[in-house]
Amino acid sequence: MIPVNLVLGLGLLIFSIGLVGVLVRKNLIIMLMSLELLLNGVNIILAGLGCHFKSPRGSVFALFVIVMAVSEAAVGFALVLSYFRQKQRADADELNELKG
Amino acid sequence: MTVTLAIFLFFAALAIVSAVLVVLQKNAMRSVLYLAFTVLAIAGVFFCLQAEYLGAIQILVYGGGIVVLYVFVIVIANLKEAVPERRKLFPKIFIVAMPALLAAEIALAVFKSRPAAAAGPEGGLELGALAEALMTTYLLPFEIASILLLAVLIGAVIIARRRSLHDSR
Repeated sequence: MIPVNLVLGLGLLIFSIGLVGVLVRKNLIIMLMSLELLLNGVNIILAGLGCHFKSPRGSVFALFVIVMAVSEAAVGFALVLSYFRQKQRADADELNELKG
Repeated sequence: MTVTLAIFLFFAALAIVSAVLVVLQKNAMRSVLYLAFTVLAIAGVFFCLQAEYLGAIQILVYGGGIVVLYVFVIVIANLKEAVPERRKLFPKIFIVAMPALLAAEIALAVFKSRPAAAAGPEGGLELGALAEALMTTYLLPFEIASILLLAVLIGAVIIARRRSLHDSR
């Protein structure tokens, strides 16, 4: 028996760690990894609530979140590689061309 | 404390520690290693929550697919040198404090609410219910997800094969 509070706390903690990573780090690849952490935190919360309410819906939604995470990773990698090919760096500081 | 709770706490502690290490590492390759740790620990959490299908998908897709993809991208981009973290002290404190405050606030709300509304049916959710829900109620989102994957495939190929942004090929 796992208290649902613990599961929500764990998911939220992983989400917050990922949020710190996205906001603080400048390395584009580590930022993408932190995005994966964010989505994993959401998945833990969905699975925990599905277990709590004894419903398969949590797993179904978490499955869709995983599909979306994979898509985001693929497009993100394509963008990072394209950017790297132009600039030869993977630093978010250089991404300021749309600043106006 | 039941055995399930102990195993859950073990995997939760492993996931949190390795997630912190993902963010803190200077070298991107080490970050990928700790990301693999985190993902597998979260798969263990899913198994504890009786979401066996989700745990298996997590191991296959994240542990097998995405981590290897990260390794390939780091090898291709050859990111050996660490990117310097140039940022002033005040914005740094601010952007760390915001998520920390968010976490503290919601954790307080979560743990103050009446505790131990015990989760986890001991019999476990049957896999058939998940399959039936996916194929009946959630059939339309399922098909839309496959269209999304197709669009991602085409988009990633087009973005990655262009030499520069002004190249129209």
